Amino acid sequence: MSTPHNDKEWIDRATALLDRSTEDLDAATLSRLTRARQAALAQRRTHSRRWVLGAGLAGAAAVLFGVALGLHQRVDTSNVHDVAPLQAGDIDMLTSDDDALDLSENLDFYAWLDAQGGDKSG
Amino acid sequence: MVDAAACLMTAIDDGRRHKDAAAREATGALERFLRDVERRALRMAEFGTASREEALDLVQDAMLAFVRHYDDRPGEEWPRLFWRVLDSRINDWHRRQRVRGRWRVWWSGTGDEGDDDPIASAPDAREPGPLARLADGEASIALEAALRALPLRQRQAFLLRQWEGLDVAATAAAMRCSEGSVKTHLSRALANLRRALEEHQ
Repeated sequence: MSTPHNDKEWIDRATALLDRSTEDLDAATLSRLTRARQAALAQRRTHSRRWVLGAGLAGAAAVLFGVALGLHQRVDTSNVHDVAPLQAGDIDMLTSDDDALDLSENLDFYAWLDAQGGDKSG
Repeated sequence: MVDAAACLMTAIDDGRRHKDAAAREATGALERFLRDVERRALRMAEFGTASREEALDLVQDAMLAFVRHYDDRPGEEWPRLFWRVLDSRINDWHRRQRVRGRWRVWWSGTGDEGDDDPIASAPDAREPGPLARLADGEASIALEAALRALPLRQRQAFLLRQWEGLDVAATAAAMRCSEGSVKTHLSRALANLRRALEEHQ
């Protein structure tokens, strides 16, 4: 809005007087204003701290989940590694080692069989 | 695995530190803004309530509400939003007073309907203005009396537009009215102020 020149003059003086009136506030009033400002800002800090705490907790939960998942995978992997060579070993045992075991367990039988053969030839 | 966890923790820590620094910076900017406007806000509320105690309460309410709702808005929007919150608090205060006043009127059986806004006649362009012949002390008293005598919307239009320096659009946003209404309120405010101040000379 445009104001006539003479209006501008007294309006400028009026706003200057209003500005000056804000400089003459007493200490108690200024203290109340400071407390009001600090209270408003403290509310913001609490809000921000809550956000940080929430983010921290979420991060910690993510780490725990990651560790738990890693451990679970590790257990599964070790099972796989343990099982594979055992299967190969089993085959070996079923073929050669079991025969050897059979020979050692039935040594008396084979000794008697051998003696029987000697008697027949003798 | 432990490395991955440590890496994640470091990333979270860095993020938190970054967030803390940004929050501290934003809080600092907000504090500077509030410190800049708080005295004018108090005077504005004081003109509206004619009581410093009430004015301090309104300013505190306005600061709390402003920070709660608008602290994450860009800094250039803060003036418009803060004055809007304060204007709303002053309006609410007046509404409560009106309700109490009605009860009082009903109780006592008398009423005073003196809230008329006559538009003063066009000023003489050669006249230096109504405050020109008054010394600072007298001029301050006359100005405060004239401002307090203005209807609320006219006073808010004058203070926000002329003193706070908001443009018409921002004043309209702060006062929750149209730009046309701001111009009308301001024009009437200037006419009423001029007339009231001239009577003081």
